[in-house]
Amino acid sequence: MPKLSLRQAATTALTTVALLALSGCGFTEYPNSTFNHHTDFNTAIDALFQRLLFWGTIVFVVVEAGLVYTIIKYRKRPGGPKPRPIHGNAALEITWTVIPALILVLIAIPTVKTIFQTQADAPAGALKVQVIGHQWWWEFRYPELGIVTANELYVPVGRTVEFELTTKDVLHSFWIPQMGGKRDLISNKTNYLWFTPNADLGTSAWNGFCTEYCGSSHANMKFRLYTVQPDEFDAWAKHQASPAVFSATPAPAAATTPVTPVAQVSGVDSTAPATATTAGYVFPRERLETEFPHVIPQTPIPTGLTFDDALLAGGDPTRGANEGFMLGGCIGCHAISGVPGAVSEIGPNLTHIASRHTIAGGLYKNDAPTLARWIKNARHMKPGSLMNTIGRGEYDPILKTTNTGGLDDRQIADVVAYLLALK
Amino acid sequence: MATLAAPARATAPASTQSGLWSWIATTDHKRIGTLYLWTALAFFLIGGLEAVLIRTQLARPNMGFVSAETYNQLFTMHGTTMVFLAVMPLSAAFFNYLIPLQIGARDVAFPRLNAFSYWVYLLGGIFITLPILFQVAPDGGWFGYAPLTTTQFSSGPNIDFWVIGLQILGVSSLAAAFNFITTIINLRAPGMTLMRMPMFTWMSFVVQFLLILAFPPITVALVFLLMDRFFGTTFYAIAQGADPLLWQHLFWVFGHPEVYILILPAFGLVSEVLPTFSKKPLFGYNVMVYSGIMIGFLGFGVWAHHMFAVGMGAVADSIFSLMTMLIAIPTGVKIFNWIATMWAGEVRFTVPMKFAIALIAMFTIGGISGVMHSSPPADLQQTDSYFVVAHFHYVLFGGSIMGIFAGIYHYYPKITGRFLDERLGNVHFWLNFIGMNLTFFPMHFSGLLGMPRRIYTYDAGQGWDLFNLLATYGTYLLVIATAVFVWNFVRSRTRGAIAGGDPWGAATLEWSIPSPPPEYNFAQIPTVTSRYPLWDLKDPSWHEGEDSHGDTGTPGPSPLREETETHTAKALGIPMPYPTAKPAFTALGLVVMFSGLLFLRNDLFAVAMTVTLSGAAMLIGGLYAWLTSPLE
Repeated sequence: MPKLSLRQAATTALTTVALLALSGCGFTEYPNSTFNHHTDFNTAIDALFQRLLFWGTIVFVVVEAGLVYTIIKYRKRPGGPKPRPIHGNAALEITWTVIPALILVLIAIPTVKTIFQTQADAPAGALKVQVIGHQWWWEFRYPELGIVTANELYVPVGRTVEFELTTKDVLHSFWIPQMGGKRDLISNKTNYLWFTPNADLGTSAWNGFCTEYCGSSHANMKFRLYTVQPDEFDAWAKHQASPAVFSATPAPAAATTPVTPVAQVSGVDSTAPATATTAGYVFPRERLETEFPHVIPQTPIPTGLTFDDALLAGGDPTRGANEGFMLGGCIGCHAISGVPGAVSEIGPNLTHIASRHTIAGGLYKNDAPTLARWIKNARHMKPGSLMNTIGRGEYDPILKTTNTGGLDDRQIADVVAYLLALK
Repeated sequence: MATLAAPARATAPASTQSGLWSWIATTDHKRIGTLYLWTALAFFLIGGLEAVLIRTQLARPNMGFVSAETYNQLFTMHGTTMVFLAVMPLSAAFFNYLIPLQIGARDVAFPRLNAFSYWVYLLGGIFITLPILFQVAPDGGWFGYAPLTTTQFSSGPNIDFWVIGLQILGVSSLAAAFNFITTIINLRAPGMTLMRMPMFTWMSFVVQFLLILAFPPITVALVFLLMDRFFGTTFYAIAQGADPLLWQHLFWVFGHPEVYILILPAFGLVSEVLPTFSKKPLFGYNVMVYSGIMIGFLGFGVWAHHMFAVGMGAVADSIFSLMTMLIAIPTGVKIFNWIATMWAGEVRFTVPMKFAIALIAMFTIGGISGVMHSSPPADLQQTDSYFVVAHFHYVLFGGSIMGIFAGIYHYYPKITGRFLDERLGNVHFWLNFIGMNLTFFPMHFSGLLGMPRRIYTYDAGQGWDLFNLLATYGTYLLVIATAVFVWNFVRSRTRGAIAGGDPWGAATLEWSIPSPPPEYNFAQIPTVTSRYPLWDLKDPSWHEGEDSHGDTGTPGPSPLREETETHTAKALGIPMPYPTAKPAFTALGLVVMFSGLLFLRNDLFAVAMTVTLSGAAMLIGGLYAWLTSPLE
């Protein structure tokens, strides 16, 4: 098919000129580019887009060249010929009605084919992930694996993953530009989206965004996708499905009874420091810094929010669990598997919070100083945040009052120590 | 006066029409058109200022120029202002000013209803714009998707201003649309058959039908939302099981035809400018008419292409995709016919002509990216990204705004009797053209490289920094361009070169009378025998060498008489509508009536009732006085 290969060559050249040659597109320069073939879904989309770009460029060149030629050739010149009063030309007009129509047919046929191909039911054996939108964070559940997590997705390469999309509040939209198109999260409706990351895709990190305007912190509703190797995924999943590895609950019976059948607690003593446990597989933080810096949040911590960082070193996780988490109000919104009473689904599940690289809808790095400030005054760090202001004496920008109760810096340092022990 | 050349005249006709009150009480379609023009330009500047603040915040990653809440108000109001308060009323300014002149009428069918439309627009515009000064402006996006706009998720007064304001503005648009339809059907001069109407009037005619068909769905959508917010109904209450897609369907059944409401008048304006400055009739007049009608008609069948990501299913996606592609055909025909109009012509690069040519060039880009969105799988990578922002700004700035500027430069001499300065106009054009491309072209890249829309900030290193910085520089260029234009616009009213009745050598009726036109427009209602009466009159041989005259008209001596002198209507014995402020008062009553709702938010029931009932009394009283007083 020499014709087709000619077109492919032209298409490739066009894409190069239009986009890549712009400044030598590399992965690190355009980390959220939609031009890629990392999944079957995006391969189909990109093929369609290349076709659109090809015909679009031809139409663009023909029209603009025709326009420029016309206005130069027929510009008013002294002694030029008198314009002829041409009212129209049926043959010409039919021609430029029919030619665009033919081009549209060439676009329409693969379009409809691709619609039905990409919206077909997911292949059997797909990994099911429930995506639940919240103002302004993402809840991810793996129902077959007993995992509930937030803002960070792990999927194995080479296996289809099917997302079941719902929202707890307003509309959101789930988009990972490098994996394919987006799909909206609609209240009182379940949407589906699936794709298969290529089997040869290395262990990588990608950005995901909310792309349906959803209120104050729409810009701050981000998430990360880690495409990992199947064995890495299994290790990650196994650990994530287990109850909290550090459970300082005063009821020892609950701590020793696995909550979910798949849970496997690796000999956790409820009072032992968390460093004794392994966190299963977690995407290595050092690889993020060297290879995937675009997934590391850069949001500056707002000025005017102070915390005595010296206290963090002395934070007591047990005290943080028993006093801070239980009595400080955290339990009202956050679940920790294995901790009796900590079952609320209002905020993100914190069972393995320390295994995540980000907090607050992907807005901040998950480290002790940031976490401490976040707990102290989340609404100061993220516009409109639904998380209450916990710090004592902190001004709440939504309630427009100063918090008279809550936790002081030392108590927050304890909670931080506890949360960061939840590997 | 005596020292001026005989046909030239730049001062308003000597009459009682001066002073503030004369503007409030005017029923003259030309003065109302002028009011629309000035008001809409003021809102255009406000909407532009909002864009400048938006682009400044986005110039660099993680800027703290404005807060998230302020940003959300800014982008909501930028869209709302540009669509409802700038571009639509700029088109309305031309509807008002030109339609009666182009069809050879003395005014619109309902002069006082016309005044009412304007005052409702002005007051509604102020109602929806003022809150931004107090940081309580609407913040749900110009599209106002439920359930974000319901009280559960937006409990402040912000959305109240939006839902009430749009409801008020809808009244203005509907009243005006019925008025213009009646005017075009009933008030055409003898011989002005539908197929002899100037193309601007034709496109306006189509737009009025789009308005009366598109506004009812959004009115229903807004009434539902208003009832939800104030009276506890549950049309969009998700906790009661509402389907939020109801809003989206109703909104886009309005919203997509709205795009053609914004663009077709601009198409009409350039269809006047291109023949004039090519000295050739419009190529394929009939096809231009039919394609305009087709665009309007098909525009009602494509609304769900704004919703390809909501999960409508493969069948619905396919149907709306094919319908959308179909619209590209009549639109493409228009582009080719415009180029063919200039082909073999005598192209004069005046400022209006440059803007008209720029519309062809820029709208083509918007049209091509539009076809890219029409393919749902591709659209899933594009929708709600900056690629879409690039697309519709090429349509609305590259199309509507370019066309409207072409119209302003073209008709300013008719409206004021003076030319806009050509040199400043050229500076404006080139800065505008470059600024526009610098602002919006990079957005194609940032969008396809993964940048979502409506985000108030972004991290560095995402591949978007350069494109955002360029776009911001482009916006600043547009600020300079607009400043040059405003200076020119204001200055030329008194300092511009005097223009005669027909300064461009144009072909249609509005150029056969003095500039500015006398209050009665035509001393003698003209008789029309062709589409190009003034060319027939001034150069009966212009048509030699062609068999047909392009319509059923017979080439020959035109019965048209060029009018070069201005009298008063009284002296000519022409009855004119009385000036009256009753429509303005009635409009005020309407706005006061709606404003009462705002007090319900704070449970001030008695205040709300008082304000609403006072407004209703003003509305009914004003209407009664208006309808029982004689027109002329």
